Amino acid sequence: MTVLGVPILEGLYPSTMDLYPLQAKEFNRIHPFYENLRQNRFTTTKCKKCGNVPFPPRVVCPQCNSDDLEWVDLPTQGKVLRFTEEVAGVPLGFETPLIHALVDLGEGRKFISRVVNCKEGQLKEGATVKLAVFDIPAMIVEKKGVMDEVPRVFFAFEPVK
Amino acid sequence: MADVAIVSAGQSVFTRSCGESIRELAFEAFKEALEGLDITTGDIDASIICSAPEYDKQRSPAGLISEYLELTPKPSFYVETVCSSSSTGLRVAWSLVKSGLHKMVAVIGFQKMSELSSRDAAERMGRGADIIWESPFGLTMPAGYAMYAQAHMDKYGTTEEHLAKVRVKNSHYGATNPKATYRKELSLEDILNSEVITSPLKKFDCCANADGSSCIIVARGDVAKGITDKPIWIVGLGAATDTMTMAGRELLTGLKCAQEAARQAYKMARLKPQDIDVAEVHDCFTVSEILAYEDLGFAKPGEGVGLIEDKETYADGTIPVNVDGGLLSKGHPIGATGGSQIRTIVRQLRGEATEAQVKGAEIGLVHNIGGIGQYGNVTILRR
Repeated sequence: MTVLGVPILEGLYPSTMDLYPLQAKEFNRIHPFYENLRQNRFTTTKCKKCGNVPFPPRVVCPQCNSDDLEWVDLPTQGKVLRFTEEVAGVPLGFETPLIHALVDLGEGRKFISRVVNCKEGQLKEGATVKLAVFDIPAMIVEKKGVMDEVPRVFFAFEPVK
Repeated sequence: MADVAIVSAGQSVFTRSCGESIRELAFEAFKEALEGLDITTGDIDASIICSAPEYDKQRSPAGLISEYLELTPKPSFYVETVCSSSSTGLRVAWSLVKSGLHKMVAVIGFQKMSELSSRDAAERMGRGADIIWESPFGLTMPAGYAMYAQAHMDKYGTTEEHLAKVRVKNSHYGATNPKATYRKELSLEDILNSEVITSPLKKFDCCANADGSSCIIVARGDVAKGITDKPIWIVGLGAATDTMTMAGRELLTGLKCAQEAARQAYKMARLKPQDIDVAEVHDCFTVSEILAYEDLGFAKPGEGVGLIEDKETYADGTIPVNVDGGLLSKGHPIGATGGSQIRTIVRQLRGEATEAQVKGAEIGLVHNIGGIGQYGNVTILRR
């Protein structure tokens, strides 16, 4: 009898245990967010009918139920209002320090994000941070019976040097 | 008179590593709840199984556990609001009994976290955030509550020493709780000198993952009176949510979901914060207990630290809080925690608490929070 290995240890990463979103158009309706992100643009949807600009982006306006939305750019720089440096017990797949910050993007828009490319003790309240886009592991998906690799990106913020 | 009562409450010992499977673990709390009651499993009309699913291999644990507890073929189903799952279970049990559908319902909470490394557990915990927008940042409970701690410090001048005093109190009571994971008294220095986890929270500001189970048996009033001469009445229930995404939060100096749940529970019970004789609050971190003082109306916003400074939340104070040691001492087996808090209040109101009995306690409150302030649950009980 052959005993098969543990799938996750053999590189067969089940999609339900993948920490990053599926980004291709086959899997979600906000895929333009990721396409824009590749061009270093931080975007969301604006309702053409009532002008509401929620974040995260939507497919239907949560205020007026209109589905006539357009993609608009958000600022890619902001100011750190407060932050915490996690130096122990960070989740698998992350390194210390794992820095989380409340970033003020202006226009009354605050956003909690990870801060990368920053050493422990380096970040200060009031510091300016900018959008950082980076590659994350590709997702293996089955398309018409063929296994295909779908490249992916994700984002965080990083100090402006 | 309210007409739904708790007839019994049990829990397992909470421990870093229980050495048993989830069905065996669940049975321990069930066994303690049934002890001394003149009922059989056949008298239980339904069971509600509560946990956070991400820590287990087992999917759909309700069927498994109801079979092991010999509750088949009675209905059983699963309820989840992460760390407040068993408080939500109690809310559902109340509804099932109040509606007349069932006479007696068991709420069983459990969690076994020792099969995972702590970093694996943290990664899974992170999946309780928004999986598209925030889990990929590695955002978990310690970091989220650290942000709340900083906001509270900035706005109200709360210090790390204030936070440490919460742990001093809870470790004092935890030391005498035979069900607690940590039974050692800690000094202010022990806590302030412990290593930083995520600024400003240190090791002893944080509760620990644990294995454990809890069981609450809820019954219709007339049935309850036939089973026990000390029914504990469910007189107030409040539940609310806040945004899943931290980005959507308006407030970082208090938990809006707890404030709203408290408002509902006080209104339903026709009681005020000053009527509460003893409370169990969700001290997953030291700062969480300070937030709870304020969100529950025991202190005004920004004045919560006064209660711990003046020792008013000790057993002989004006509003005793977590005199069983809290999550900080007991450990936090996610799905079992709410049931354990309820068990403590049931024992307090019956005058049967062994850790520290609040003299003449008649009205008790349980505050149980899921996620980083996502699910707020407040339950008021009365003897």
